Amino acid sequence: MDASACCWKAWNKKMDRNVNVIRTIWMRREMLHNLVSRELKSRYKGSVLGFMWTILTPLFMAIIYVFFLRLLARGVPMEHIIIGVFAWQFTASSVNSGLTAITGNANLVKKVFFPRIILPTASTLAQLITYLFSLIVQLLLVAILLGIKGEHLSAWTLALPVLVAYHTLFNMALAYLLAAANVFFRDAQHLVGVLLTAWFFASPAMYDLSIVEKVAGTRPWLLDVYMLNPMAVIIGGYRALMLPDASVPWSIFTLIGLLIPLALFFIARISFRRLQRDFADLL
Amino acid sequence: MKSAITAQHLGKCYKVRGMAPPTLFGALKNTFCRKKTEPFWALKEVSFDIPKGKTVGVIGPNGSGKSSLLGLVTGTIFPTTGYVKTDGRISSLLELGAGFHPDLTGTENVYLNAAILGIPREDIRKRMDHIVAFSGLHDFMNMPVKHYSSGMYVRLGFAVAVEMNPDILLIDEVLAVGDIAFQLKCLDRIRDFQRKGKTLLFVSHALQTVEEFCDETFLIHHGDLVARGDPAEVILKYIRAYMGEGGYLYTQEFGTREVEFTQVRLLDDMNREAGSFESGKPMHVDIGYKTSQRIEKPVFGFSLKTGNGFYVFGSNTQIEHYDIPYIEGEGHIRLTINPLPLLQGNFFLSLSVHSWDHATQYHRREDWYPFGVKNTGETLGIFHINSQWSHG
Repeated sequence: MDASACCWKAWNKKMDRNVNVIRTIWMRREMLHNLVSRELKSRYKGSVLGFMWTILTPLFMAIIYVFFLRLLARGVPMEHIIIGVFAWQFTASSVNSGLTAITGNANLVKKVFFPRIILPTASTLAQLITYLFSLIVQLLLVAILLGIKGEHLSAWTLALPVLVAYHTLFNMALAYLLAAANVFFRDAQHLVGVLLTAWFFASPAMYDLSIVEKVAGTRPWLLDVYMLNPMAVIIGGYRALMLPDASVPWSIFTLIGLLIPLALFFIARISFRRLQRDFADLL
Repeated sequence: MKSAITAQHLGKCYKVRGMAPPTLFGALKNTFCRKKTEPFWALKEVSFDIPKGKTVGVIGPNGSGKSSLLGLVTGTIFPTTGYVKTDGRISSLLELGAGFHPDLTGTENVYLNAAILGIPREDIRKRMDHIVAFSGLHDFMNMPVKHYSSGMYVRLGFAVAVEMNPDILLIDEVLAVGDIAFQLKCLDRIRDFQRKGKTLLFVSHALQTVEEFCDETFLIHHGDLVARGDPAEVILKYIRAYMGEGGYLYTQEFGTREVEFTQVRLLDDMNREAGSFESGKPMHVDIGYKTSQRIEKPVFGFSLKTGNGFYVFGSNTQIEHYDIPYIEGEGHIRLTINPLPLLQGNFFLSLSVHSWDHATQYHRREDWYPFGVKNTGETLGIFHINSQWSHG
């Protein structure tokens, strides 16, 4: 092993301490905590209602969706759409904030030595907190909508934290990948904007899995391919947990769709570690 | 003695891809067209070893690789060749206010910045009063830092950074900001670090400060560590080699060259060549010349300017009634300034030789010889004025 390879190992060790990302993050938890609160605080700084917006924004969004989707998507129950759209929002905003996690903190990355992985982690966690607040609003709305129909939230709703954690893991993986990619190719920002729109329609946010099943009636492989999309599994999962009448069509492909986020997380982690040493040079 | 910082064949190469940010299209173009990217070596094969408790100053012209060196030691930049090893906790004052968020208040930013630097929250809470007092921003701590002046920004950043209590402190020309009072406070804090046996590595263009604080000085030029050693010697070399003759200074040279200056040496009171002189002691300038023919009644002159171009003094042999009947071939003439009335700072010496009637300028070197002056007394200003007080 030559000296420079040895050096890289030592540098990586100093930078990240451990391949185990949880350990790295735990060691810099104070920094993480501060960065997350910086993101949240600065988002609402100067506004009269301040942190209230974390609840108000999803509430208004929900009202708008309920109002317009009532006109548009007659076939899909409103509570399905609310769950789908909010879950999608979490991923979309994580992707967008993850994209600029490194490039937007160029000054910090160029001048201070700290594990760079903290930055996309913090941006995703800030989105998670916003999502958790919107989840409260969402649960209330869904309970009311179900109540009108004389139904109740499923008991499985209690298992929601597990799915949220899984969803966050997926978003984190995307944030890591895109944060690193955007340093090398600024085109990523624009490309991702387009891809997000396509992905939105390819995910069951505005419609239901039952519609996909109906379309795929004659071609069963279509549903299989569809379920490879982790967002299909995640959004389907949210509905299955909260609503009494929804379920996820289980198959080997659903399982693969479920495993993709895990695999992606490890790929993202390893690529981030490999790419981070050039960050300061390119910013 | 154990070393705090060790570097072996440390090098950093940047691939200059023009000024545009990297794009996918650019990368594809490079892959397909095999367009050569110009490599730029910011630092080349530098090896050194800094023992614990030593203070090392890094000097050199702009763009010579000083900041790259500090970045490599901090770890923000990854070396292309070689390695650098550090022993102990590093804090660098090159990131003053780097993590500040404009919308957050001073207090919030102190916590944020401390967290980024890795200082435990509890420590900061305990030392908050001290930080506020040191920064002198008591009335502004609840104001978003976007309303701060750049000086206030740096003061707050410095106050946080020195709280980290590092083993190795890296400083990159940050003390130039802030007013005199704050600069003195900072220098005081740096002396404190030295007393506690910490290792300091600092980049500065304030040569006096470097000479005053450092045990050793590194001179970097075009990415090479061209000289290292005793601060006074290295500074002299820097001034001679890269600031003066053939250097980067805005210097001018003109004349008919019937008389030409050859070697010019600036000597201190012990007749040693020096780049920095003590105020109030004698300063000698040994001027060598050569002529192509016999020159009748030449006039040698000199003038002094401050580092920022303020004309301080000028005189010549004619004004001083030191008549030289003629010169021929090679020779020496000595100019003595005794005592040196300049107090503190960098100055430029210009030399000229012209004919008695001022009609012919034989040779003139404008701002050619820079030198520094150190103030050993307590008086302040650019130069010393003899003054007495009487009462009653």
